[in-house]
This record gives sequence, structure tokens and C-alpha cells, in this order.
Amino acid sequence: MLFTPIYMNKTKVLLIISATIIIMLSAVLIGTVNITAKDIIDIILHKLFDFPLKQGLKPNTVSIIWTLRLPRVFLAFLVGAALSASGTVIQSILKNPLASPYTLGVSSGASLSAGLIIVFGISIPFLGNLTLPLIGFISGLITVFTVIAFSRKVDEGLSSNTIILVGMVFSLFVNAALTILTALYRENIESIVLWQMGSFSLRGWNYVKAASIFFVIGIAGVMKYTNEMDLLSFGEDEAKSNGVETEKVKKKLLIFSSILTGSSVALSGTIGFVDLIAPHVARKFFGSKHIYVLPISAVFGGALMIFSDIIARTIVSPSELPVGAVTALIGAPFFAYIYFKKSR
Amino acid sequence: MFHVNHIFCGYNNQDIIKDISFDLEPGCNLSIIGPNGCGKSTLLKALAHIIPYKGSIRIDNTEIKKMNRKTLARNIALMTQINSIYFPYTVYETVSLGRYCHMDSVLPRLSPLDKDIIYDSMEKVGLLSIRNAKINQLSGGQLQRVFLAKIFAQDPKVILLDEPTNHLDLRYQIELLEYINEWKKQKKRATITVLHDLNLVQEYADKVILLSNGKMHSYGSTKDILINDALEEVYRIDIKKWMTKVLIKWEA
Repeated sequence: MLFTPIYMNKTKVLLIISATIIIMLSAVLIGTVNITAKDIIDIILHKLFDFPLKQGLKPNTVSIIWTLRLPRVFLAFLVGAALSASGTVIQSILKNPLASPYTLGVSSGASLSAGLIIVFGISIPFLGNLTLPLIGFISGLITVFTVIAFSRKVDEGLSSNTIILVGMVFSLFVNAALTILTALYRENIESIVLWQMGSFSLRGWNYVKAASIFFVIGIAGVMKYTNEMDLLSFGEDEAKSNGVETEKVKKKLLIFSSILTGSSVALSGTIGFVDLIAPHVARKFFGSKHIYVLPISAVFGGALMIFSDIIARTIVSPSELPVGAVTALIGAPFFAYIYFKKSR
Repeated sequence: MFHVNHIFCGYNNQDIIKDISFDLEPGCNLSIIGPNGCGKSTLLKALAHIIPYKGSIRIDNTEIKKMNRKTLARNIALMTQINSIYFPYTVYETVSLGRYCHMDSVLPRLSPLDKDIIYDSMEKVGLLSIRNAKINQLSGGQLQRVFLAKIFAQDPKVILLDEPTNHLDLRYQIELLEYINEWKKQKKRATITVLHDLNLVQEYADKVILLSNGKMHSYGSTKDILINDALEEVYRIDIKKWMTKVLIKWEA
């Protein structure tokens, strides 16, 4: 076909979506309590539409599925998808396939504020469970704009390399502040460290609800600018000359990707590598156009996160590993493999 | 059609380009020449409003500063020197980005007309057969043609080209300038090209601006500007003498 983009292969899309659903289902199935797929569907139908439960299903099982495993799977998917979408955006803005939202200090900023919230037990009235993601997003955003403002001071042209370097310096600085906070409030050391390592355990439906609100806003925001991201990945001057209001578009993209990253970090801790790998894989199989890369990378990142979480909670069962450690363990070699394989 | 009046521009509040004025009519090839560092690329960036400028640049009587980027892009396009490819788009995808400024803002999709124009642009520069190739696997000559096709797809009234023949061997240099010439003639559009090779200027330019330290040394028809005295004053070398010497070697 002359006018069909060669990468938009329906089979590939179907494959990735069905793989994601299978991973989601197995994540709910796998665990110390054995249960069948049909039971899970029964439980979901019962909870959502008040369908009668099958005889013999223990209330305990129902509760494990409904209050523990299901929200955990959904949260893992949302966080993985949000981080990956945000990673895709940052890579195109910085014209660097190795950049990630962490490069810009979003997660360090969000980490520090989450640390402050844990230490001082801050809770804003009316916000309840939304306090953590909202503050996470805001402080992530503040860090990004500080990084950008500082970069502009030292380099008027705002080159990607300057932004990346300044972002790294700021991240280290903010991380040091978090370390000091941890050292000063030793009684909270465990909860801060555990939170930092990243985990989806014991996060209920409230977390899923909070994550989905930020996810929908963030994804809708970045999906509006897929054409502009294509143009920006050729460089700023080029994009301007093609008709992109680069300043405005970049600012909006940074805000929306901060919404995605900041809220994810605040809800589940710092989980690395998924945001780096997912866009890479999406680009490898679906080309470079962001209208395809962005959603595919989100779906793949979500699936990868669920998969990592399955490993995190089963490999040393009944104890659990921090999922951030698992993503790094799988991610680092996997990333090296796809990156160097490409350049050969 | 294109009027430039007393413009100043530069970086960090320092003017590199000082007091440049000229007019351009449809169908004209204007070349900007001058030694390294005289401000050729800076001038080109100001003409596309990539960098801010003082003074006035008007196209069809509208100041380009007052246009939004999309409107400006439908009038003026700049082909920059792209040094590295970060993401492997296909040839077709890259060329289709040229249609961005013609797309609807609410539902930005390529219309059948857009697609016709994209195919036509690729055909003009001989890219149809490799339209699905990834641009990071192309040769320098092919890559330049891709970016030229993108500009053709953008279809502006004035094209600005910053050393388009850089890194190309002679055959590709001539080929590229011929593509531009043909398109310009067919569409009655104007081009402004920064060129280093004075032979190419001699062959392809209708008018020439000779820049020296950011100022206009002289401006006029190619025949009037490419005179030895002016060139020697700016470039500090007797160009005609040198070229004649080389020519004698060729003829021997």
C-alpha cells in the first residue's frame, strides 16, 4: 500500500495488547493463594456489577484478590505507563535517546517532597490520598523549571547537553538534601528508604484512583503534541522553521511529563529504567513517529512494570524485593543489549 | 515581495549583523557570500525569525515578527545544517513533517492533498524508490535531498538554505542546486542561499550580497558583485588569479 505507514502494523499492536492482558491476568493469578482465572472474573463481576459469587469462594480469597492483587496490578501498570510515556517525551525534547525524566530532576524533586511529607506527616485537608502525588508533581515541576532556568542562565541557546548536565547536578544536590533529611530523622529511615526503593505493595484502590487521574491528564496532554515532538526531535531551529511554537510547546510538554513522572514517583517511589527501555523498544518495533511510539511505549512500560513486580514479590517469597531493584536488575543489561546491538 | 530594512541581530545582546537591507522578487536566486565568521548563518536565522532582530523584515507587506510560527512557516522555510540524526524516521515520515504548517490545528492529519504533495516532493528529488528507508542509513547526498524534499513539501514563498552543498561531492552539489532551481522556476518562488563555493555562486545566483564583518560590503547582480577588486578586499586573496592558475592546470 502506497499511503500506509509501514510501521503501523495491526498484528504488532494486537500482539502487544494481548501480551499485556496476559501479563495482567497472570499477575493477579500468581501468589501464595491459588486461584483460577474464572474465579478472578467472578470476583470482578461481583464487585463491579453485584453478580452472585460462586459457591466455595472464601471471603478471604475475595479480599486478597480485590484489595491486594488487583489494585497492585493496576497501579503497577499505570506507573509503568506514565513513566514510559514521560520518558518518550523527554527523549524527544532533549533529542537524546538516553535521556529520561530522571535526567531532568523530576524524580529527585518529587522524592525530596515525599520524604518531607513522610517525616513531618503532612496531610493537606480535602486532598487526603492525593496529597502525596499532588505535592510530588508540584515539586517535580519546580525542580524541572529550576533546571531549565539555570540552564538558560549558563547557556542562552538552551542546548540539550546543558540541560542534561544541569539536571544531573541538580538531581545529585536534591538527593543530598534527602539524604540529610533521612540522617536527621532516623526514626523514619526505614519508611523513607523503603519508599525510595519503590514498591506497589499495600497500595489500595485509593492509590489507583489517584494515579489514574494524573495519568489521564498527563497522557491526554502529551498526546496532543505528537506532531510537534516529531519536529522537535530534529532540533529546535528546524522545528521553529517548520512552524512549531517551540517555547510554548516545550513548556507544556515539560508540565505534562512532570505530571506523569512526579505523581508516579510520589505514589510508588523511584523506579528506574522502565522509562528508558520502553521508548527504546517501542521505537525499535514501531519506528519513530510519536503518534505510535508514545502509546505503544506506555502500554509496553506498563506491562514491563507488572512483570517486574511479579518477580519482586515472588522470587524471595514470602518476603519481597523492592521493584526498583528488579527493574534495574532486568533493565540495565537489557538496555545495554538493545543499545549496543543497534549501534553495531 | 520580500523586503528587508535596516536589520540588526546577533546573540547575547551583541549585534553580529549590522544594518542589512535588500529586496527580493519572486523567481530570484540570492546568494549570501563572505568569509568565515562574517555572519552569513546569523543573517539567515534572523530572516527566518529563528533569532530576534531589530529593524523590519516584511513578506507581502506583513512584518514576519507579527506572524505566528505556522503562518511564517507557510511563507519562509529555513534548511539548516543538520549534523546528526537522533531518531531513525523514514524518508516519507521526514518529508511529511514539511506539511505540518498546513495542517489543521484541531485535528492535525495529513489530507489526501498533503500526501500528493509529499509524493510529488519526493519524486522531484528522486527519493520515491527509497521512501521507506530510514534516514540514519542514508548517504550525505541522499540526506540533503530528504531535507530539500521536506522544504518543497512545506512549499514556502522564500527558501533559505544554509550551505546546502556542504559535504557533497561536485556531482551532488550541482544536482542539488539544479533541483532547487527547477522548483523555484516552476513555482515562481525565491531562494536565499549561503554558499562558500564562488563557482557555484557564479553559476546559480541572480543576485549576490557580499558580507564583511556583519555589514553589507556590496549588493547587486552576480555580474556586478563578483568582481575581483571587491572579492579581494573582503576575502584578502586574488581569487581570479588563483582560479585562472588552477584552470591552466586543468587545461594542460
